[in-house]
Amino acid sequence: MTGSEHEISKLADRIRLRSLEMVAPHGFGYLGQALSSAELIATLYARHYRHGTDRLVCSPGHYVVAFYAAAAEAGRLDDSRLATYGQDGSDLEAIGTERSPELDLTGGSLGQGLSGATGLALSARLRGDSEARVFALVSDGEMEEGQLWEAAMFASHHGLDNLVVILDANDSQVDGPVTSVTTIEPIATKWEAFGWATFEVDGHDPQAIDEAMEGAVGADRPAVVIGRTSTRQGLDCLPPDADGHFIKLPPELIELARQELEARLA
Amino acid sequence: MREPPYPTVLKPYGETLVEIARQRPEIVCLSADLTRQCEIDLFQDQIPDRFVNVGMAEAQMMSMAGALAREGHIPFAHTFGVFATRRPLDQIVNSIAYPNLPVRIVGFMPGVSSPGGPSHQAIEDVALMRALPNMTVIDVADATEIRQVVPAVVDVPGPVYIRLKRGEIPVIFDDTHEFSLDEAQVLVDGTDVALIANGMMLSAALAASRTLAGAGVSAAVVNVPVIKPLDSETILDVASRVEAVVTAENHTIVGGLGTAVAETLAEAGAGVPLRRVGLADTFAEGARTGPWLFRKYGLTTQDVVDAAWQALGRSDPPPVAETVPSSEGEYAPV
Repeated sequence: MTGSEHEISKLADRIRLRSLEMVAPHGFGYLGQALSSAELIATLYARHYRHGTDRLVCSPGHYVVAFYAAAAEAGRLDDSRLATYGQDGSDLEAIGTERSPELDLTGGSLGQGLSGATGLALSARLRGDSEARVFALVSDGEMEEGQLWEAAMFASHHGLDNLVVILDANDSQVDGPVTSVTTIEPIATKWEAFGWATFEVDGHDPQAIDEAMEGAVGADRPAVVIGRTSTRQGLDCLPPDADGHFIKLPPELIELARQELEARLA
Repeated sequence: MREPPYPTVLKPYGETLVEIARQRPEIVCLSADLTRQCEIDLFQDQIPDRFVNVGMAEAQMMSMAGALAREGHIPFAHTFGVFATRRPLDQIVNSIAYPNLPVRIVGFMPGVSSPGGPSHQAIEDVALMRALPNMTVIDVADATEIRQVVPAVVDVPGPVYIRLKRGEIPVIFDDTHEFSLDEAQVLVDGTDVALIANGMMLSAALAASRTLAGAGVSAAVVNVPVIKPLDSETILDVASRVEAVVTAENHTIVGGLGTAVAETLAEAGAGVPLRRVGLADTFAEGARTGPWLFRKYGLTTQDVVDAAWQALGRSDPPPVAETVPSSEGEYAPV
């Protein structure tokens, strides 16, 4: 691992730790999403996403906790605000909306974020802005929603080469593994068939992610980086049957998880 | 105001949108495969760089429209009323209404003006859009209103749903008519009953008023193109001067104009008898012609007359509405 990759891995673990601390007071919540997407988001933030220039869409709004954590690492949110995550009256909503910091669109109703991202990308073209890129985090379960494919077709038909999808293929949805609910494979072949430049990587390998994102940003058409991930990644203390979508976190498990992450970050 | 049969014109909306868009570079025109039917072939031909056909993908169109509006554009999103409201309701909520963005959703072919059956008959689009916070809901009656509604809504800060007749558009109002986003208009004064109508039922209400006048009943006619926000002041003012109120809409009586008026009257304690003319909480059906459906589902001039008669508590037979013959290129209410 190079120094840069090591830094990204550290950033990913800090995203995990901050996410754990945000979810912990609730005793349950959307932690699995942060665990699976930590390296994807860390690489995006460290290497590709330019805050203020690019647009950021989190289609599955449940992932927003990881973006709050990344924003805190970038110095845009302080600990006291993170402490309000999901609490009454807070704008750090647990399912991210546009009133939440860091995001540009309301997410949460699954399968819709990519359409919004195509709108942002089309707008950049209409306005003659050749600098801005649109990054959209999409989850594999969202491939069950028909609208996702409307958006995928639109993007390739209109040649939106300023659009990059980060697809977190964590094989997790509410009812269990995606594979147990609907066959969405072969994921890469589907996106290719829809006219997208397709990159498939181990979603916990910073170097592979970085290279894929580099290729995606430079592609001459819309591009997707498919990261194969796990909702238990980075926390060996989680039980094998830990719910990837909405995990229960009793105090003793929180303490074990905190110790594990802090030890690795030390 | 003209007398029926009314002359008709083609594409007043499409022409006006192009005119306004030439002055307003923020406007982008979105189509979902029904380009000519929504009169925006004119836009496609004349301003192609701001015309985007998303194809048969209404969900995509609405979510994208919200994102475009957020970036400073003023998107006008077009399709038939059914596909503009039923299919992409959740997308409108999350991408347009909740963010309170200036997307203009234009739904053509209202109510049973389409003989295409339940899949093509927008009988509850007003109810769906009216239920959404931030949404302005408009159902205009003629070409004169259509030419004014487009410039009127361009700078409304939030989202707008506009319901438009497809095809030949009657010209009911003179050029002096002024469309208002804020005020309903009392077109005919009356002291016995108020007929409150909009869209394709306005001409029927006007005809009913004439029929009732012939029977000695003084019927006011109020045009309410903007269903939300509703001009409750005008409605309560008119209602306070009559013995009964009748609403008429080319829509289910649940959730649309009739409901909005009922809520207004009830909350003010107006205590005036009310009858709602419209689809009586029923779906319609496929047929050959729209007018046959207007008759079968109770949307004729006679239905408005009968409702007024009943609301006034009259037990004698109601007067018979005169049928106005119309030739090709003309429009008269059923």
